[in-house]
Amino acid sequence: MTTRRDFLSRTLGGSSLLAFGGVVPEFLANAAAAAETAKSQDTILVVVELSGGNDGLNTVAPYADDLYQKARPTLALTRREALKLNDHVGLHPRMGELKRLWDDKKLAVVQGVGYPNPDRSHFESMDIWQLADPKRSLSNGWLARTIPNMRVNEAGVPGMFIGQDRLPLAMQGADGGVISLADRESFRLKLTGNAAPRKKLLEDLNAGDGPAADLSAFVRKRQLQTYTSLKKIEDALADLPSQRPPDRPGGLVPPQPPGSGDALNLGTLNGRLALIGRLINKGLGTRIYYASINGFDTHGAQAESHEALLGEVSSAIGEFFANIVPNAGRVVLMTYSEFGRRVKENGSRGTDHGAASCLFVAGAKVAGGLVGKHPKLDDLTDGDLKYTTDFRSVYATLLDQWLGVDSQAVLGSKFAHLPLLDLAKKADEKPISRS
Amino acid sequence: MADTLPSELVKVDPRDAWAPFRPNAAVPWNEKWVAHLHRRAAFGSTPFDATRSLRDGYEKTLERLLGGEPDADELLDVLLKTGQFLTTDTQLRVWWLTAMLEGKHPLREKMTLFWHNHFATSYAKVQRTRLMFEQNLQLRKHALGRFRPFLLEMSLDTAMLKWLDSNQNVKGAPNENFAREVMELFSLGVGHYTEKDIQEAARAFTGWHVDSRIDEDEDSFQFKPTLHDDGAKTVFGRTGNWNGTDILSFCCDKPECAAFLVGKLYSFFVSETKPPATLIEPLAERLRKSDYDFADLVKTMLGSRLFFSEHAYRKRVKWPVEYALGAIRAAAPGRVPLGDVLDPLAKMGQVLFAPPNVKGWRTGTDWLNSATLLARNNFAETLAMGAWERGRDDGVPQRASVAVSDTATATPVDFPAASLAEYSMAGSAAVAGSAVAMTFPTFPDPNGKLYVAPALQTPPPPGSGTIDPPPQKPPAAGSAGVQPLPKALNPGEVPPPTPEPRFDVSAPLLQPKPKDAAELVARMSVALAGETAPASVKSRIERYLLDGKPAPKELDTPAFRQKVRETLHAMMCLPEYQLN
Repeated sequence: MTTRRDFLSRTLGGSSLLAFGGVVPEFLANAAAAAETAKSQDTILVVVELSGGNDGLNTVAPYADDLYQKARPTLALTRREALKLNDHVGLHPRMGELKRLWDDKKLAVVQGVGYPNPDRSHFESMDIWQLADPKRSLSNGWLARTIPNMRVNEAGVPGMFIGQDRLPLAMQGADGGVISLADRESFRLKLTGNAAPRKKLLEDLNAGDGPAADLSAFVRKRQLQTYTSLKKIEDALADLPSQRPPDRPGGLVPPQPPGSGDALNLGTLNGRLALIGRLINKGLGTRIYYASINGFDTHGAQAESHEALLGEVSSAIGEFFANIVPNAGRVVLMTYSEFGRRVKENGSRGTDHGAASCLFVAGAKVAGGLVGKHPKLDDLTDGDLKYTTDFRSVYATLLDQWLGVDSQAVLGSKFAHLPLLDLAKKADEKPISRS
Repeated sequence: MADTLPSELVKVDPRDAWAPFRPNAAVPWNEKWVAHLHRRAAFGSTPFDATRSLRDGYEKTLERLLGGEPDADELLDVLLKTGQFLTTDTQLRVWWLTAMLEGKHPLREKMTLFWHNHFATSYAKVQRTRLMFEQNLQLRKHALGRFRPFLLEMSLDTAMLKWLDSNQNVKGAPNENFAREVMELFSLGVGHYTEKDIQEAARAFTGWHVDSRIDEDEDSFQFKPTLHDDGAKTVFGRTGNWNGTDILSFCCDKPECAAFLVGKLYSFFVSETKPPATLIEPLAERLRKSDYDFADLVKTMLGSRLFFSEHAYRKRVKWPVEYALGAIRAAAPGRVPLGDVLDPLAKMGQVLFAPPNVKGWRTGTDWLNSATLLARNNFAETLAMGAWERGRDDGVPQRASVAVSDTATATPVDFPAASLAEYSMAGSAAVAGSAVAMTFPTFPDPNGKLYVAPALQTPPPPGSGTIDPPPQKPPAAGSAGVQPLPKALNPGEVPPPTPEPRFDVSAPLLQPKPKDAAELVARMSVALAGETAPASVKSRIERYLLDGKPAPKELDTPAFRQKVRETLHAMMCLPEYQLN
């Protein structure tokens, strides 16, 4: 049974400040102070969800394969278009920034990622990825299961969701571990009049004890957590630039001084990642960040929408790493999507729900290169690619080797590690090369 | 039969659970259970509702909620007529909130909301106000009707056809989107069909298209025989030249369909705690036997002993719409501008006509994260402070242009005295027997005399999700917002101006002249929640009100009123208040 005290101490990552203190406003102040003084070297994982089923075959295209060209008469990337990773596969031409990371050996491209008996429902497959459980017998997400096992040095909130949707399943069920940051205005508690005593009243009323299993006890926890985080986030956001930088055309990002990211527009992936970058640079103490970008369900007229999406993903990731240079050595970013798409394009110049796909793992400590086998186009199941790499191997590698969390405790069984990371590599503290 | 059901849900005999409720010594017809019924079957209760229901007794109240007020049909006519003139999604949202609050048949609207979540379709993709409106009419028409014809009508609904890419579903190149959702989300639930069933069913739906006219508002369903696959299909083991209607009928024939629907309705009306299958099965059986009569099902659920038990009491998280409208009904003395409710609702996670995806909103505890909870706190602040339409930077005093009909001044809107009285907490005496001829405001009134919201006078730019003018540019409906981060940070530096009387939530609480703070606090918690707050809450609130000093002789002072508003806000932020 979780007591209020347990909850509070977990909220603050085990800070002993709380063990005896019952007065919330004091702990808010103390926690804020602790966050400022703590100097952490915790590693950080940023998860980027590409929602809707990203077409892996046009993200990392087997441009040299005739079967690919044949299956996609209007959509296939040509030899000329693809940003070649080797003689067989190449990145979509709009992913110039990811190609730069590749050239710097900071990008791992994991091919043929999937799981057995793939489900082609968005919701089911997304749930499977987010639960890391093809049987979907669990009810809390893989990151939510990670959090209680993860050490957090600073008294920070272990996980944070940056976005305006509700919490992704991956992060659901981590009591005391996750907050969600919508837009700035949504993260300000409005108390007109006698603000300070009112704040105290709210906190006192929500600090009461109740039966732990009760629904209202759950709400109470959430409410307290909200108040706790407000102060810190406020601090982290206090010096945002007041002007939104002008939009830049194209898929490439010109050199940016660190910290100049477009953190004002949280409606874009770029804005979300830039804000994550700022929070990291502020030393917020959060170890898992999660952001998503929507729109990959390209059933019709795919070429136009898909290239815009990939361009946004690529430039947002490029700019993100450019902005966190001082902390680059402790950040790894991974992308994923619930499934890839059918090999053969459909009658509406789009693609229908498929199975295996690719994903990216990027960062200064990432061992660059192709990981896993590209699925064969002449060996399909119901027109879909067969997976060659279980996605839980990606999770297991990042859990064990990056977050320092026993993957078996999170995933329920052992999964083979992938050569994703090179921890011995020295993180250069200069910006990513730009030609 | 004992008065109360066993405290463990698994030990509850399903026959007892669904037996008709009769008030008894253990579960009397009192404020608590009146409020409970109104939270579920309606959008909460005004003090007038509570008084009347208490006076009328349980049977009469349930009957009224199931059937609506006597003039509900008349009002609906007016609502439907005015709805024809809506041109933006924002107007549509305000229109529906109006129907929920003023339509005199809240259960019908509640069920419409249930079905909106079930057949979740979003303006974000459909992009036509009219089509979303028409779908909403279908949802309402069948809200308490029979499921088979409903499912068919939804399958022919233009907004739905657009939403699920039906025009891409053609012979030889089927698009499985619709066929999948029919089984997964609309009728059976995951696990009661195979991938093969979906592929074959998709073929049966080929050629079920939207015929695009020049004016897209006039789009409608059309069957395209040349694009229809009339070969044999095998679905659920039955082989034949099936068409879409056959498939829908097969889905409804499967026993899992009734259980799926009952389970969903159970979590909407009774509890979000997963029930044992044995509890669902008798209702599923009843639903099958009635050929999917939802009026009967809803009546059985809401009138059951289980519904009036601790197994149901506060066992759901309020949907944002329930939270906002319930708070307004409980606390606001006059009508509030409903356009001002849209942005808070979006921040709480519920944009009407724009569920996040075809699966609908993630409900239950998923409603509550730190951003959505904060949005609830902040909405409560607006309501408690009566700060409607404040915080605009364009300097346009919009309030003056919003005519509200609860004041004595001449207003452009004639609304039945009954409904006005409901909004005025002291007005219960005026209600009985009043049958005032009713006219409903026409939305695009040339004089701009609208009671609902300035939104309707100054439509927002296309695609903007709320009525607020800049600098707050809210997100397009259902999409992630593009919101600059404001710089100003310290709340509460300016003392709040006194709200207008019609927005002053302290007035109805102080009007009966409570003799002391304790009586006032009791009155507040009964108004909000139907029952007295626990002692620890009560004492904290009282202490806050009195600030450690002896009670002032005269409670009704400006400073004390402000404190009343502040404590009412705090009570709307209580964990229990987030629960339905």
